[in-house]
Amino acid sequence: MFSEFTDIVPSFFGWLNQGPMTLTLFLHGAIVLPMFFIYKQEKKRLESEK
Amino acid sequence: MSKKVSVWADGRFWQRSAAWVTGVAAMLLIWLTFDTMGQIQMGTKAELDQGITKRVPSPTVINHKITYEMNDKRGHETPVIGEKEKFFGRDDYSEEEAMALLNLGKLASQTKNCMNCHTLLGNGAYYAPDLTKAWLDPNWESYMLRMGKETKEEAIAEFLQHPSDNPSNERMMPNLGVTAEEAKGLVAFLKHMSSIDTNGFPRNFGKIEGGIHGR
Repeated sequence: MFSEFTDIVPSFFGWLNQGPMTLTLFLHGAIVLPMFFIYKQEKKRLESEK
Repeated sequence: MSKKVSVWADGRFWQRSAAWVTGVAAMLLIWLTFDTMGQIQMGTKAELDQGITKRVPSPTVINHKITYEMNDKRGHETPVIGEKEKFFGRDDYSEEEAMALLNLGKLASQTKNCMNCHTLLGNGAYYAPDLTKAWLDPNWESYMLRMGKETKEEAIAEFLQHPSDNPSNERMMPNLGVTAEEAKGLVAFLKHMSSIDTNGFPRNFGKIEGGIHGR
């Protein structure tokens, strides 16, 4: 799943670009997961309205 | 207790999601820009002499032999800077001299609009061969024999000055009026460019016939 770091310059983006799995995990962690929280917050707000 | 609501039909959910995604993407792009700036910074002669690997090495790399070798760890070919090698009879170009030569070559490549047909570091056209690793093209050896030149740099300089006398393939390069001095700069520019670590670009250079010859 995680491959050894192979880029010449150690960097966050080098690590991120090692394969599709690291990128997928990162994007889901940083973008999709927070959207679940937004969804839940909005649902709560709509339910409490009126 | 909970009543039936539709979050998907709610404008605020989409607004907040869009703001979040745009914000995160913008922050990532800004970070990526600064991350890249550090990586594409040209190295110095001192770093080169100490064997410190840089993506873009010092211009004094023209004093060294450059090869393109398969790196099993990274899964593609990478430029390897080797021992000293004469370039137009010298292997002691200072950083300033080498930089001046490289600049001359870069300006000449822009003046003659090489990118109109060729590709340089991924920019330009694919009508003529990719020049990113042109210095490392093994075919220059046959040019050396044909032209009776002792070195690769002399053969390339000769070709650049008289391309129509030395046809490479059916898409003949036009005679662009390159002077001897410009040709020297262009060869230095090509040699330095071939030493840049491009993460294996162009892919499979030296293996695909069409990749080199533009056929």
